[in-house]
Amino acid sequence: MTTPVARRPQLSPDELQQLKWLLGGLLTLLGVGTVLYMDIDAWVLTGLTVAATLATLLRPELPGRVPRWVHALAFPAIAAFFAGDLWLKMELLPAMVRLDILLLIYRNLSYRQRRDDLQIIVLGLFLVIVAGVLTVSLTFAGHLLVYTACSLAMLLVITLGDAAQVGKPEPAQPIRETPSWARHTDWRRLLRRLQEVTDWRVVGLGAALFAGVVGVSALLFLAIPRFQIENSMFLDRFITKKAKSGFTDVIRFGDVSEIQLDTSIALSVDVSDQSQIPVTPYWRMLVLDDYSNGTFRLSGGLRAQFGSERTNSFQTGQARPRLGEKAVWTFYLESGVSRYLPLLGHFDMLRFRESQNYRFAGALALVSLREEPVSMTAYRVEGFDLTTLLPDPVFAERWRRRHEPDQKPVGLQTRLILRDSDHGVLRRTVSEITGGESPGAAEFARRAGEWLRRQHSYSLTPAIPGGDGDPLIRWLVSREAGHCELHAGSFVLLARAAGFAARVVTGFRGGSWNGYSNNFTIRNSEAHAWAEIFDERAGGWLRVDPLAPVVATTGEEPRGEAAVAARLDRSWAARFDSLRVFWYRRIVNFDQRSQAETLKAVKEATQNTGRRLRVALEGAVDNLKVWLTSPWDEVRLVRVAAFVIGVGALGWFLKSVGPGWWRLRLRGFGHRRDDPVRREAGRWLSRLANGEAAEEEAGVIADLQRVRFGARPTWPEPARVFQRAHQALRSRRRRAVSRTGSGSG
Amino acid sequence: MVSLLHRAPDVDDPGGQGDEAWSGPGGAARKERFTWSGLVWALVYPQRGHRILPTVPGVVLIALSFGIGTAAYNSSSNILFITLSLLLACLILSGVLSWLNLRGVRWRLRLAPPLRVGHDAIVALELRSRNRFVPTYGLWFEFAARPADAEPGLRAESTLTAKGAEVRAALAQAEAAELRGRVPLAGRLDPGGETRVEWVLRPERRGNLRIELVSVGSLFPFGFLRKDIGTGLTANAVVWPAPVEYRRHGVAAVRRLAGGERVARAGHGGDLLALRRYISGDSHRLIHWKASARTRTLLVRQFAAESAEGYAIWLLTDAGLWPKPEQFELLISFVATLSEDLFRGGQLRDVAINAEPPMPVRRVHDLEWWLNKLATVRPAEHADRIPGELTVARQNVMTFVPDGVRGVVAYVDGQKAASV
Repeated sequence: MTTPVARRPQLSPDELQQLKWLLGGLLTLLGVGTVLYMDIDAWVLTGLTVAATLATLLRPELPGRVPRWVHALAFPAIAAFFAGDLWLKMELLPAMVRLDILLLIYRNLSYRQRRDDLQIIVLGLFLVIVAGVLTVSLTFAGHLLVYTACSLAMLLVITLGDAAQVGKPEPAQPIRETPSWARHTDWRRLLRRLQEVTDWRVVGLGAALFAGVVGVSALLFLAIPRFQIENSMFLDRFITKKAKSGFTDVIRFGDVSEIQLDTSIALSVDVSDQSQIPVTPYWRMLVLDDYSNGTFRLSGGLRAQFGSERTNSFQTGQARPRLGEKAVWTFYLESGVSRYLPLLGHFDMLRFRESQNYRFAGALALVSLREEPVSMTAYRVEGFDLTTLLPDPVFAERWRRRHEPDQKPVGLQTRLILRDSDHGVLRRTVSEITGGESPGAAEFARRAGEWLRRQHSYSLTPAIPGGDGDPLIRWLVSREAGHCELHAGSFVLLARAAGFAARVVTGFRGGSWNGYSNNFTIRNSEAHAWAEIFDERAGGWLRVDPLAPVVATTGEEPRGEAAVAARLDRSWAARFDSLRVFWYRRIVNFDQRSQAETLKAVKEATQNTGRRLRVALEGAVDNLKVWLTSPWDEVRLVRVAAFVIGVGALGWFLKSVGPGWWRLRLRGFGHRRDDPVRREAGRWLSRLANGEAAEEEAGVIADLQRVRFGARPTWPEPARVFQRAHQALRSRRRRAVSRTGSGSG
Repeated sequence: MVSLLHRAPDVDDPGGQGDEAWSGPGGAARKERFTWSGLVWALVYPQRGHRILPTVPGVVLIALSFGIGTAAYNSSSNILFITLSLLLACLILSGVLSWLNLRGVRWRLRLAPPLRVGHDAIVALELRSRNRFVPTYGLWFEFAARPADAEPGLRAESTLTAKGAEVRAALAQAEAAELRGRVPLAGRLDPGGETRVEWVLRPERRGNLRIELVSVGSLFPFGFLRKDIGTGLTANAVVWPAPVEYRRHGVAAVRRLAGGERVARAGHGGDLLALRRYISGDSHRLIHWKASARTRTLLVRQFAAESAEGYAIWLLTDAGLWPKPEQFELLISFVATLSEDLFRGGQLRDVAINAEPPMPVRRVHDLEWWLNKLATVRPAEHADRIPGELTVARQNVMTFVPDGVRGVVAYVDGQKAASV
């Protein structure tokens, strides 16, 4: 038995139960909220859970009306659902997620005991972690923090509610019986009660401690030793990968346009040397060379160049190593973009964060992962060859020997499977472009590009004229506007008709330079298609973008600060995007190397700070020496003595008066100021102070002053005093009105 | 039943009374200076009674941390590393909050005597918080009460060579003799506030009882760890024998005491009989100052009470006479009940055990001394049956003998006066 003596009210056991129920519902909603960005087919279950949770939150008496047979059949039904789900779809992780959601539904349809509340926390945490691992998104960080805060609050409420039950088994809640706390739940009233019982200083302390938890977890994250046991377990292996949109090796007209409508981030790129940044970077992902019926495909010949699948964490490229330090490009490719990695061309070395299954086409400078990654994929590339020409000595050799009898033309990327009439149209168009001459590849590219831009404007909503024949040729000879893919495809047809090897390349063009996090941000709307034409003289593939003026043939693009300045983005969106990059750089991509770098940076910062402090201290000591050894005259002595006396007096004052004053401020003034009754009395006093006070008001004013400043036990009844003050004010107004009336009369 | 006063039992507190009687983290005891080595040593070798044990949620959290840590190292996933860091940070927060919760809390034991066998007694623990703005939640208090009478001839023995069954039996016997209770702190202890926790105890045996606040426990804040702080706070109390119902028998002739003899409660009714010398314990109001000044000897007035027939109780505890323990316990309860009833009626003159000199019973204090004595009396092997000064009077002396195998009979001067 206890006899509590409390100044503030306390929540009753029923109110604690209501709070626990509310937090349990909130945790359920937070848990199933992860399905929104987890890309798992559980929308129906999620909707049901949200509906059930909201319903039981609004009407906590509902679980008491659930029939008994539902409780009896719940767990067998859930187990059967899980087994059937697993058997039918053969996907472990999605089945587990759906099982988790089902359990959450049931936990919200029945009154929970202590272990059930703990189960809700664990089930929700499972969903949050799975979502985090699968998506590696910044949303996860926020979600985890909110979830942790709510879980801790829930555990706190459980501890407080069960304090009286320690060591005793919890009584079971009878089925179809509504507990007392659920019968008359009024959430507004509960919130008011929470306000009453809450000491905001304690809440502030709690918030500070939670911020401390975040800080400590950040420190632990940095300090936890990193070593990798071979990654034999990873959640994304238990789920079938699905790309949300983007690039495949078979695309049709319109595919690129669909991507362009999406302004979400597709790729973030860190560059170690800003001077290497080209003005207009082209992020190559896929080469399409086989054309028929208005569709570009990756031909079998090029597909064969990808070779067999490799499992490694690094890949050596075909770029020649250059003198000096290599620029390092770190790519963060968002999930759902493509399994083809965006690259700027040939490279020296490509490194993954962890071992990957991939195929590499050296001559094409393309890398294809085995599966579509459902989470962000990070990789680092060193030594990009940033020229507009993609050297291809093997193809050059084959091109040189193309007229030899044993050479197959299929792999030469010159094939045009068209009707004769279409061939005729193309020939006429080429003649118009070349004027009967035989220009080199670069010159042809320039002329063809100009011709296309003259004939067709740019539009995201192209119209292809009807009629017979190849749709792309129909568009080519029309004056209709078109998007990048139509321009690039038409160029390839023209080049092939003119006898050049050409192909379509898809990827991204450009991007903005985030002024806060200093990185490239490329959005899905910057997806692009362009062409590459084989330049026999240069021995490589020349990039041709019919929608942009042709750049110098084999020369290097302008780079550096000018390129950055042209693409600088310091908008609010960029500020938010910088958070995402911070998340990728410092959290997701944090590895042993980063850990060593961080520790090194901390060590250097500590040493530098110590050095600076030492220098400052030595300087101060030297100054003191100089000051002490300088001649002492009377004025100086008086000044020093005055200063010493002043400091002493201040110290004495603070020591003797300060603590008392501070205590008085904390206990007395603060409480008085915060007391609503005293505040109200103060308001009435200030109202009555305006104007002339009548004799009969003296008593009211004295009472108000007592309520405002006096000790609480000496107070008269405040409500009565305020009523009298109100009457006094009214009678004073009445007097003023009658006086004015008599004066005017 | 009379309402008897009792002095407060001694609380084993070296500091004595006042502010220093408080113990606990916020007690007045001088705090040791914090050292890191002390902290590490406290973790390696905790203080007596201090325990930290994981609860079911704590075990789940630890298992979860292990699982996530294994997965993190297995997959090198920083998402899992950051989750692991957050879980570990939560454990640290739990420790900090638990420390904050107990910091500044102090307590002291208070007993509400008298304690009687079979009657509820209240053991109160006063709690006070010295915190400025951090309240204290979710504490519970483990109390224990065990007999404090040391069995003669018993000493500590090693259990290394003992049989397991014997050790278990000995432990079970010790536990059976012990009363335990757990009382939670309902609600919150506000900063600067105080509250009182009460443990209702029903003693089962008479004798000296040692009441101990074994530990103060808490699951606060998140219930991951169960923290017990051993306090070592004890209080001694004497448990008086249980009152029993008995049957009175009419005594044929109870001798009226001769004039000049002292009565049980001097100063109550009747005429002034005489003056006599002051004896320690006499009321100061009865001092006859004029006569005392004249004779230069402290003299008190002596009255004749209406019920002047007083009894002397002579208790023989000879083990040969009382071979059965339960009958002996009945005897003690019977004597205690009779003593109280006679005192209430002003008829108790003297009391004596075996050959000890008789003790006059005039005030409540004397009766309490007698009940304390009865609380701890044991059968004596070779009790001397000569009752000291009682033999001089040999009038209205109440003695006790077994009545059959269970009962007890009280005789007054050879006549049956009461039985149970």
